[in-house]
Amino acid sequence: MTSIRRGLLAGLLAGLFLATLNFVTDGTPGRTLPDALHWFGIALADPTTSRFAGFFLIIVLGGVFGLIFGAFQRERIITISRALLSGLVLGLAWWFIFSLVLTNIMNHASSPFSLQFGRFLSTFPIDVLFGLVLGALYFQFQEKPTAAAL
Amino acid sequence: MSISSAHERKKGAAKASVDHAATTPITLSERSMTGLALIRIFVGYLWFQQLFWKMPPDFAGLYPYIIRESQRTIIPGYGFILQHTFLAGCANLHTASGCTLFVPLAAGVWTAELIVSLSLMFGLFTRFGAILGSVLALQLYVGLAYTEWLWTYGMLVLLCLALTAIPAGRRLGVDQWLAPRLQAVASHNRFARFVSWFA
Repeated sequence: MTSIRRGLLAGLLAGLFLATLNFVTDGTPGRTLPDALHWFGIALADPTTSRFAGFFLIIVLGGVFGLIFGAFQRERIITISRALLSGLVLGLAWWFIFSLVLTNIMNHASSPFSLQFGRFLSTFPIDVLFGLVLGALYFQFQEKPTAAAL
Repeated sequence: MSISSAHERKKGAAKASVDHAATTPITLSERSMTGLALIRIFVGYLWFQQLFWKMPPDFAGLYPYIIRESQRTIIPGYGFILQHTFLAGCANLHTASGCTLFVPLAAGVWTAELIVSLSLMFGLFTRFGAILGSVLALQLYVGLAYTEWLWTYGMLVLLCLALTAIPAGRRLGVDQWLAPRLQAVASHNRFARFVSWFA
Protein backbone atom coordinates (compact mmCIF):
# COMPACT_ATOMS: atom_id res chain seq x y z
CA MET A 1 0.00 0.00 0.00
CA THR A 2 1.46 3.38 -0.92
CA SER A 3 1.72 6.04 1.75
CA ILE A 4 -0.88 8.22 0.02
CA ARG A 5 -3.44 5.40 -0.16
CA ARG A 6 -2.66 4.45 3.46
CA GLY A 7 -3.08 8.10 4.46
CA LEU A 8 -6.41 8.32 2.61
CA LEU A 9 -7.76 5.22 4.38
CA ALA A 10 -6.53 6.44 7.80
CA GLY A 11 -8.00 9.89 7.10
CA LEU A 12 -11.41 8.55 6.06
CA LEU A 13 -11.58 6.37 9.19
CA ALA A 14 -10.42 9.24 11.43
CA GLY A 15 -13.05 11.45 9.72
CA LEU A 16 -15.71 8.82 10.42
CA PHE A 17 -14.53 8.75 14.03
CA LEU A 18 -14.76 12.57 14.30
CA ALA A 19 -18.20 12.62 12.67
CA THR A 20 -19.37 9.96 15.14
CA LEU A 21 -18.09 12.06 18.07
CA ASN A 22 -20.09 14.96 16.64
CA PHE A 23 -23.15 12.71 16.39
CA VAL A 24 -23.19 11.59 20.05
CA THR A 25 -23.69 15.09 21.41
CA ASP A 26 -25.66 16.02 24.52
CA GLY A 27 -29.20 17.11 23.69
CA THR A 28 -30.22 16.42 20.09
CA PRO A 29 -27.96 13.84 18.40
CA GLY A 30 -25.73 15.40 15.75
CA ARG A 31 -26.69 18.98 16.52
CA THR A 32 -23.11 20.18 15.80
CA LEU A 33 -22.80 18.37 12.44
CA PRO A 34 -24.23 21.26 10.33
CA ASP A 35 -21.28 23.39 11.56
CA ALA A 36 -19.15 21.62 8.94
CA LEU A 37 -21.44 22.91 6.17
CA HIS A 38 -21.39 26.36 7.75
CA TRP A 39 -17.56 26.52 7.35
CA PHE A 40 -18.14 26.64 3.56
CA GLY A 41 -21.17 28.88 3.69
CA ILE A 42 -23.62 26.06 2.92
CA ALA A 43 -27.00 26.16 4.64
CA LEU A 44 -29.68 23.50 4.18
CA ALA A 45 -33.23 24.14 5.33
CA ASP A 46 -34.02 20.58 6.43
CA PRO A 47 -32.20 19.84 9.73
CA THR A 48 -31.99 16.07 9.13
CA THR A 49 -30.48 16.49 5.65
CA SER A 50 -28.16 19.13 7.06
CA ARG A 51 -26.88 16.72 9.71
CA PHE A 52 -26.36 13.90 7.22
CA ALA A 53 -24.54 16.26 4.82
CA GLY A 54 -22.35 17.52 7.69
CA PHE A 55 -21.56 13.93 8.71
CA PHE A 56 -20.38 13.01 5.20
CA LEU A 57 -18.53 16.29 4.69
CA ILE A 58 -16.45 15.63 7.84
CA ILE A 59 -15.55 12.17 6.50
CA VAL A 60 -14.52 13.68 3.12
CA LEU A 61 -12.43 16.38 4.86
CA GLY A 62 -10.86 13.63 6.98
CA GLY A 63 -9.90 11.86 3.74
CA VAL A 64 -8.31 15.07 2.41
CA PHE A 65 -6.28 15.49 5.61
CA GLY A 66 -5.29 11.82 5.35
CA LEU A 67 -4.03 12.40 1.81
CA ILE A 68 -1.92 15.31 3.06
CA PHE A 69 -0.61 13.14 5.91
CA GLY A 70 0.32 10.34 3.48
CA ALA A 71 1.96 12.74 1.02
CA PHE A 72 4.24 14.11 3.75
CA GLN A 73 5.54 10.64 4.63
CA ARG A 74 7.04 10.05 1.15
CA GLU A 75 6.87 6.23 1.10
CA ARG A 76 8.97 5.89 4.25
CA ILE A 77 8.24 3.48 7.09
CA ILE A 78 7.61 5.90 9.94
CA THR A 79 8.02 5.44 13.70
CA ILE A 80 5.18 5.83 16.21
CA SER A 81 6.78 9.10 17.42
CA ARG A 82 6.62 10.58 13.92
CA ALA A 83 3.12 9.22 13.25
CA LEU A 84 1.63 10.67 16.44
CA LEU A 85 3.48 13.98 16.15
CA SER A 86 2.48 14.48 12.50
CA GLY A 87 -1.09 13.56 13.42
CA LEU A 88 -1.17 16.06 16.29
CA VAL A 89 0.14 18.80 13.97
CA LEU A 90 -2.59 18.01 11.42
CA GLY A 91 -5.21 18.01 14.20
CA LEU A 92 -3.95 21.43 15.25
CA ALA A 93 -4.20 22.60 11.63
CA TRP A 94 -7.80 21.27 11.44
CA TRP A 95 -8.72 23.21 14.59
CA PHE A 96 -7.02 26.39 13.36
CA ILE A 97 -8.55 26.33 9.87
CA PHE A 98 -12.08 25.09 10.56
CA SER A 99 -12.94 25.62 14.24
CA LEU A 100 -11.16 28.95 14.59
CA VAL A 101 -10.68 30.92 11.37
CA LEU A 102 -13.54 29.70 9.13
CA THR A 103 -16.04 29.64 12.02
CA ASN A 104 -15.16 33.23 12.95
CA ILE A 105 -15.29 34.42 9.35
CA MET A 106 -18.66 32.79 8.74
CA ASN A 107 -20.06 34.14 12.02
CA HIS A 108 -18.83 37.66 11.09
CA ALA A 109 -16.78 37.83 14.31
CA SER A 110 -14.70 40.91 15.07
CA SER A 111 -11.51 38.98 14.35
CA PRO A 112 -10.83 35.62 12.62
CA PHE A 113 -8.88 34.63 15.72
CA SER A 114 -11.39 35.60 18.42
CA LEU A 115 -11.94 32.80 20.89
CA GLN A 116 -13.93 32.13 24.06
CA PHE A 117 -12.85 29.59 26.66
CA GLY A 118 -16.00 27.47 26.25
CA ARG A 119 -15.64 27.23 22.48
CA PHE A 120 -11.92 26.52 22.76
CA LEU A 121 -12.60 23.70 25.22
CA SER A 122 -15.35 22.18 23.11
CA THR A 123 -13.36 22.15 19.86
CA PHE A 124 -9.61 22.03 20.50
CA PRO A 125 -9.25 18.65 22.29
CA ILE A 126 -11.61 16.91 19.83
CA ASP A 127 -9.85 18.26 16.73
CA VAL A 128 -6.41 17.40 18.07
CA LEU A 129 -7.74 13.93 18.98
CA PHE A 130 -8.81 13.50 15.34
CA GLY A 131 -5.18 14.12 14.31
CA LEU A 132 -3.85 11.69 16.92
CA VAL A 133 -6.22 8.95 15.72
CA LEU A 134 -5.25 9.64 12.10
CA GLY A 135 -1.55 9.25 12.92
CA ALA A 136 -2.11 6.14 15.05
CA LEU A 137 -4.24 4.48 12.33
CA TYR A 138 -1.66 5.29 9.65
CA PHE A 139 1.02 3.68 11.83
CA GLN A 140 -1.14 0.56 12.27
CA PHE A 141 -1.68 0.23 8.51
CA GLN A 142 2.06 0.10 7.84
CA GLU A 143 3.54 -3.26 6.99
CA LYS A 144 6.41 -2.55 9.30
CA PRO A 145 9.48 -4.49 10.41
CA THR A 146 9.43 -5.42 14.14
CA ALA A 147 12.11 -2.86 14.97
CA ALA A 148 9.84 -0.04 13.85
CA ALA A 149 7.23 -0.98 16.46
CA LEU A 150 8.82 1.32 19.03
CA MET B 1 -2.47 -53.35 37.83
CA SER B 2 -0.34 -52.23 34.95
CA ILE B 3 -3.46 -51.20 33.02
CA SER B 4 -4.63 -49.20 36.02
CA SER B 5 -1.20 -47.50 36.29
CA ALA B 6 -1.24 -46.55 32.63
CA HIS B 7 -4.74 -45.18 33.07
CA GLU B 8 -3.63 -43.17 36.11
CA ARG B 9 -0.65 -41.86 34.18
CA LYS B 10 -2.92 -40.83 31.29
CA LYS B 11 -5.30 -39.10 33.70
CA GLY B 12 -2.38 -37.31 35.33
CA ALA B 13 -1.00 -36.20 31.98
CA ALA B 14 -4.44 -34.96 30.90
CA LYS B 15 -4.83 -33.03 34.18
CA ALA B 16 -1.36 -31.50 33.78
CA SER B 17 -2.29 -30.51 30.24
CA VAL B 18 -5.51 -28.85 31.46
CA ASP B 19 -3.58 -27.08 34.25
CA HIS B 20 -1.09 -25.88 31.70
CA ALA B 21 -3.88 -24.66 29.42
CA ALA B 22 -5.49 -22.82 32.32
CA THR B 23 -2.36 -20.74 32.88
CA THR B 24 -1.69 -19.94 29.23
CA PRO B 25 -1.34 -16.17 28.92
CA ILE B 26 -4.08 -14.40 26.99
CA THR B 27 -2.95 -12.26 24.10
CA LEU B 28 -5.37 -9.76 22.66
CA SER B 29 -5.36 -9.35 18.88
CA GLU B 30 -4.70 -5.98 17.23
CA ARG B 31 -8.40 -5.71 16.33
CA SER B 32 -9.48 -6.36 19.93
CA MET B 33 -7.01 -3.77 21.23
CA THR B 34 -8.17 -1.21 18.66
CA GLY B 35 -11.79 -1.92 19.63
CA LEU B 36 -10.94 -1.42 23.31
CA ALA B 37 -9.10 1.79 22.43
CA LEU B 38 -12.24 3.11 20.70
CA ILE B 39 -14.33 2.22 23.77
CA ARG B 40 -11.76 4.05 25.92
CA ILE B 41 -12.04 7.18 23.75
CA PHE B 42 -15.84 7.19 23.90
CA VAL B 43 -15.83 6.74 27.69
CA GLY B 44 -13.41 9.70 27.87
CA TYR B 45 -15.76 11.67 25.61
CA LEU B 46 -18.63 10.84 27.96
CA TRP B 47 -16.71 12.52 30.80
CA PHE B 48 -15.66 15.36 28.50
CA GLN B 49 -19.23 16.28 27.54
CA GLN B 50 -20.24 16.54 31.20
CA LEU B 51 -17.82 19.44 31.74
CA PHE B 52 -20.01 21.85 29.80
CA TRP B 53 -23.04 22.05 32.07
CA LYS B 54 -20.93 23.01 35.09
CA MET B 55 -18.44 25.42 33.59
CA PRO B 56 -16.20 27.80 35.56
CA PRO B 57 -16.11 30.34 37.11
CA ASP B 58 -19.24 29.59 39.21
CA PHE B 59 -19.80 25.86 38.43
CA ALA B 60 -23.49 26.61 38.97
CA GLY B 61 -24.69 23.46 37.17
CA LEU B 62 -23.11 21.27 39.83
CA TYR B 63 -24.94 22.88 42.74
CA PRO B 64 -28.38 21.17 42.41
CA TYR B 65 -26.64 17.78 42.12
CA ILE B 66 -24.67 18.34 45.33
CA ILE B 67 -27.94 19.30 47.07
CA ARG B 68 -29.58 16.14 45.72
CA GLU B 69 -26.62 13.99 46.79
CA SER B 70 -26.75 15.41 50.32
CA GLN B 71 -30.45 14.49 50.56
CA ARG B 72 -30.56 11.11 48.75
CA THR B 73 -27.22 9.43 49.47
CA ILE B 74 -27.17 5.67 50.11
CA ILE B 75 -24.45 5.91 52.79
CA PRO B 76 -25.40 7.34 56.21
CA GLY B 77 -23.20 10.28 57.15
CA TYR B 78 -22.24 11.17 53.57
CA GLY B 79 -24.88 13.90 53.46
CA PHE B 80 -23.42 15.35 56.68
CA ILE B 81 -19.95 15.49 55.05
CA LEU B 82 -21.36 17.28 51.99
CA GLN B 83 -23.27 19.76 54.14
CA HIS B 84 -20.08 20.67 56.02
CA THR B 85 -17.82 20.89 52.95
CA PHE B 86 -19.44 21.74 49.59
CA LEU B 87 -22.53 23.24 51.20
CA ALA B 88 -20.90 25.00 54.17
CA GLY B 89 -22.43 28.45 54.66
CA CYS B 90 -25.05 27.96 51.91
CA ALA B 91 -28.28 29.79 52.64
CA ASN B 92 -30.28 28.92 49.54
CA LEU B 93 -31.24 25.60 47.94
CA HIS B 94 -31.32 27.15 44.46
CA THR B 95 -28.13 29.22 44.20
CA ALA B 96 -24.62 28.77 45.57
CA SER B 97 -24.39 32.35 46.79
CA GLY B 98 -23.07 32.47 50.35
CA CYS B 99 -21.42 29.04 50.14
CA THR B 100 -17.88 29.46 51.38
CA LEU B 101 -16.26 26.30 50.00
CA PHE B 102 -18.46 25.42 47.03
CA VAL B 103 -16.43 27.12 44.27
CA PRO B 104 -12.95 25.79 45.25
CA LEU B 105 -14.28 22.26 45.80
CA ALA B 106 -16.35 22.32 42.60
CA ALA B 107 -13.22 23.50 40.77
CA GLY B 108 -11.46 20.40 42.11
CA VAL B 109 -14.26 18.14 40.82
CA TRP B 110 -14.28 19.89 37.42
CA THR B 111 -10.49 19.62 37.10
CA ALA B 112 -10.55 15.94 38.07
CA GLU B 113 -13.20 15.25 35.41
CA LEU B 114 -11.13 17.19 32.85
CA ILE B 115 -8.08 15.07 33.71
CA VAL B 116 -10.12 11.84 33.38
CA SER B 117 -11.53 12.89 30.02
CA LEU B 118 -8.19 14.00 28.53
CA SER B 119 -6.40 10.94 29.89
CA LEU B 120 -8.95 8.53 28.41
CA MET B 121 -9.47 10.34 25.11
CA PHE B 122 -5.77 10.79 24.37
CA GLY B 123 -4.67 7.51 25.95
CA LEU B 124 -2.22 9.38 28.18
CA PHE B 125 -1.51 7.48 31.43
CA THR B 126 -4.81 5.79 30.71
CA ARG B 127 -4.92 3.61 33.80
CA PHE B 128 -4.44 6.64 36.04
CA GLY B 129 -7.36 8.34 34.28
CA ALA B 130 -9.45 5.17 34.61
CA ILE B 131 -8.71 4.86 38.37
CA LEU B 132 -9.60 8.51 38.93
CA GLY B 133 -12.74 8.00 36.82
CA SER B 134 -13.69 4.96 38.94
CA VAL B 135 -13.39 7.03 42.12
CA LEU B 136 -15.49 9.88 40.69
CA ALA B 137 -18.10 7.46 39.33
CA LEU B 138 -18.24 5.63 42.68
CA GLN B 139 -18.89 8.95 44.39
CA LEU B 140 -21.73 9.62 41.92
CA TYR B 141 -23.12 6.15 42.63
CA VAL B 142 -23.05 6.75 46.38
CA GLY B 143 -24.79 10.10 46.03
CA LEU B 144 -27.17 9.64 43.13
CA ALA B 145 -27.85 5.90 42.68
CA TYR B 146 -31.44 6.10 43.91
CA THR B 147 -32.28 9.32 42.08
CA GLU B 148 -32.01 7.69 38.64
CA TRP B 149 -31.91 4.14 37.25
CA LEU B 150 -29.90 2.25 39.86
CA TRP B 151 -27.33 0.96 37.35
CA THR B 152 -26.63 4.30 35.60
CA TYR B 153 -23.62 5.20 37.73
CA GLY B 154 -22.89 1.57 38.53
CA MET B 155 -22.19 0.96 34.85
CA LEU B 156 -19.87 3.97 34.78
CA VAL B 157 -17.92 2.52 37.72
CA LEU B 158 -17.65 -0.85 35.94
CA LEU B 159 -16.57 0.75 32.63
CA CYS B 160 -13.79 2.69 34.37
CA LEU B 161 -12.71 -0.40 36.32
CA ALA B 162 -12.51 -2.39 33.04
CA LEU B 163 -10.28 0.34 31.57
CA THR B 164 -8.11 0.17 34.69
CA ALA B 165 -7.53 -3.54 34.12
CA ILE B 166 -6.50 -3.27 30.46
CA PRO B 167 -3.80 -0.93 29.09
CA ALA B 168 -6.20 0.41 26.46
CA GLY B 169 -4.10 3.53 25.78
CA ARG B 170 -1.44 1.47 23.99
CA ARG B 171 -3.45 1.65 20.78
CA LEU B 172 -4.79 4.92 19.31
CA GLY B 173 -3.20 6.74 22.24
CA VAL B 174 -0.06 8.44 23.50
CA ASP B 175 0.66 5.44 25.75
CA GLN B 176 1.58 3.51 22.58
CA TRP B 177 4.62 5.80 22.39
CA LEU B 178 5.09 6.26 26.13
CA ALA B 179 4.80 2.71 27.52
CA PRO B 180 7.82 1.10 25.75
CA ARG B 181 10.01 4.05 26.74
CA LEU B 182 9.00 3.87 30.39
CA GLN B 183 9.45 0.09 30.40
CA ALA B 184 12.93 0.47 28.91
CA VAL B 185 14.10 2.55 31.87
CA ALA B 186 11.99 0.71 34.46
CA SER B 187 14.72 -1.86 35.22
CA HIS B 188 17.03 0.77 36.75
CA ASN B 189 14.55 3.42 37.83
CA ARG B 190 11.96 2.68 40.51
CA PHE B 191 9.82 5.72 39.68
CA ALA B 192 9.68 4.79 35.99
CA ARG B 193 8.68 1.22 37.00
CA PHE B 194 5.83 2.62 39.11
CA VAL B 195 4.68 5.13 36.49
CA SER B 196 4.93 2.62 33.63
CA TRP B 197 2.00 0.65 35.08
CA PHE B 198 -0.28 3.62 34.49
CA ALA B 199 0.64 3.92 30.78
